[in-house]
Amino acid sequence: MKGKKEIIVATIVVAMVLMTLFFYLMGTGEIELNQIGLVGIAIILVGLAMYIIWDKIRNVNKGLPGKDERTIFISYKAGYFGFIAAIWSAVIGSVLIDILFGYELDGGDVSAIVVLVGGFVFVVSYLYLYWKGK
Amino acid sequence: MMKTRIKELRARYDLTQEELAKKVGVRRETILFIEKGNYNPSLQLAHDIAKALQTTIDDLFLFEEK
Repeated sequence: MKGKKEIIVATIVVAMVLMTLFFYLMGTGEIELNQIGLVGIAIILVGLAMYIIWDKIRNVNKGLPGKDERTIFISYKAGYFGFIAAIWSAVIGSVLIDILFGYELDGGDVSAIVVLVGGFVFVVSYLYLYWKGK
Repeated sequence: MMKTRIKELRARYDLTQEELAKKVGVRRETILFIEKGNYNPSLQLAHDIAKALQTTIDDLFLFEEK
């Protein structure tokens, strides 16, 4: 079945991310403000990714492909937006948080912000382009 | 600007968007957005849709000057 392998892999990845988040939260004694933000983005990201997977499963069950030329095209476009967002978040993320909250981020936090912001912008752009049509 | 006659020809052959999507191997939404003029299909997909609707690309897609 077209796209079935991709759905299985994506479902496994989502389950692993959820498990990682669960163990991270269990292992953290006191959750700080920046951690709430990062975990919040990760949860939204997982939720949106689950929606995309569900949509693919719905199409495959109807006998339609999980992906076609339009979804591939919007993936590339959303990937471009996510990449740009990741670069800008690396450049201005730590400066902005320092100015707004007076909190100096360490290298690990900045890496997490880059990954999460890039992923978040990718998923939001993907869904926006998906519903807009192009 | 591009207009299409997909909806008209679908009605002629009594095809739903989903049935046409299955015939050409794309999602139903892709057919919907092509019909609405929100998505420009590739030449291959345009050819497949035209073939499924027993017409030509020229007859299916109408281009208007801006």
